[in-house]
Amino acid sequence: MNVIEINNLTKTYGKSRGITDISFNVEEGEIFGFIGPNGAGKSTTIRTLLSLIYPTSGSAKIFGKDCIAFAPEIKKQIGYLPSEVFYYDNMKVIDLLKYSASFYKKDCTKRIKELAEIMDLDLTKKIDDLSLGNKKKVGIVQGLLHEPKLIILDEPTSGLDPLMQQKFFELLEIEHQKGVTVLFSSHILSEVQRLCSRVAIIKEGKIVTVEKISTLQENNYKKFKIHTKANLDKSYFDVAGVSKLEVEGNNVSFLFKGNLNIVLKKIAETEIANVWIEEPDLEEIFMHYYVKEA
Amino acid sequence: MNIFWHELKAYRKSTITWSISLIAMMVLFMSIFPTFAKDAADFTKLLEGYPESLRTALGMNLDNLFTLLGFYSYSLTFIVLIGAIQAMNIGVSIVSKEIREKTADFLLTKPVTRTTIVTAKLSAAFVSLILTNMVYGAAALMMASQVKLEDYSLQTFVLLSLSLLFVQLIFLALGIVISVVVRKIKSVLTVSLATVFTFYFIGMIGGTADQESLRYFSPFKYVDTAYILQNSSYETTYLIVAAALIVIAIAVSYIIYSKKDIHAV
Repeated sequence: MNVIEINNLTKTYGKSRGITDISFNVEEGEIFGFIGPNGAGKSTTIRTLLSLIYPTSGSAKIFGKDCIAFAPEIKKQIGYLPSEVFYYDNMKVIDLLKYSASFYKKDCTKRIKELAEIMDLDLTKKIDDLSLGNKKKVGIVQGLLHEPKLIILDEPTSGLDPLMQQKFFELLEIEHQKGVTVLFSSHILSEVQRLCSRVAIIKEGKIVTVEKISTLQENNYKKFKIHTKANLDKSYFDVAGVSKLEVEGNNVSFLFKGNLNIVLKKIAETEIANVWIEEPDLEEIFMHYYVKEA
Repeated sequence: MNIFWHELKAYRKSTITWSISLIAMMVLFMSIFPTFAKDAADFTKLLEGYPESLRTALGMNLDNLFTLLGFYSYSLTFIVLIGAIQAMNIGVSIVSKEIREKTADFLLTKPVTRTTIVTAKLSAAFVSLILTNMVYGAAALMMASQVKLEDYSLQTFVLLSLSLLFVQLIFLALGIVISVVVRKIKSVLTVSLATVFTFYFIGMIGGTADQESLRYFSPFKYVDTAYILQNSSYETTYLIVAAALIVIAIAVSYIIYSKKDIHAV
């Protein structure tokens, strides 16, 4: 079942920003990454899903219902964490969270305490006095306290220290195990790579590709680094599928895409001291998409 | 209801401050009434020295200025002015506050319709103004009974006092429209002061030029205290105009707000 279905969603502003003809689905129970650089249209897409802004054309469905027409109903099951959090400054954290909880017709007191403890958040402080990172924690608790079935995160980690990021990711993993669906927008690829099973790449308001993370990596090259015992002929590894070949004394490095056996045979036939074979990280794949299209 | 209570709480401080200011203004005026009325003859002579147009512009009417109700209605020109700023402030804040303080994302991603949000905010603003008027009215009645030299018509006094609420409601509605239409209001007070004073001066000019048509352009002149003093009632035409204005302004606000894009910061 699809929790989010986006069909040809277009939003044009007076200026050049906006999104064009966006379509993708997010399946129930998956953590779906939504990546692209700043200004590519991630927030615009998300804000449309939340009916904060209205589409110029196209539509989107959440839980099978139109996200504009059924907005209030749908939002009962959505937790949203924006990239920058702003709350009523003169309120205490606990009062804000209680106010937030009052919109959902259930008792969230226990959950608030639980989340605050995990995120190490002082509930008695005034929002005004909180640091950026602590405000973000309030945002996290606020977004999760009603136990939503869909969590929408728009660049959620900005302002969080690595320790808190870690805790936050653990929280998401737990929710994920409960069957919660997550839409995770980010420009930081490592975090997407770590959490998400599938990913949509957006560029200048258009979806470039929607892929499984594993497929993205499979279809790509591998990085080879070899330390040989004797000096090699420079052209030794220059076979089909090899690119960016660099030979410096005993060190050889290159990228390879194709039948791995060919390269491994080549390696086996030489005296080597050490060998490293690495998966490219998402960053490199991502750059690949961007450079190719540019 | 939760939004309503939240908003009402948010207005609490400002409601108290404005109520005190209104009462202070009223007390200030009414406390000089006894001395003023005693030396009526001298004051009349002094004021007659001023050009008549200036007197009308300031809302002074020598025929009744030395009666309690006449003097009260003169002081009301200033009290209503303050009240209008209060109402305009609340009105302009209603939506712009969320945008300026960037809390709109919080509220609008909750499972509520935008109509519900406007209704709750509007009701809270309305209740704030009602509370202000109740406190003010009680204080005014008490003050009047303290300084009166002879009996006065209670009905007229109440009607005069209610002109505060009457004008406030118009400015509240006006403020909401501005708050919904303008994308981002940096300073509420600047906007409300500018608007209120513009209408105030239009009213003053209307008073001197003696042009009936100009009255429609200044909500301050919808209640003519001289008319109330004479007839102990409001003018029906202006009651209707005011009601229409409020209804239209609020309806427009609902429509625009429901269709408005809430942009990221």
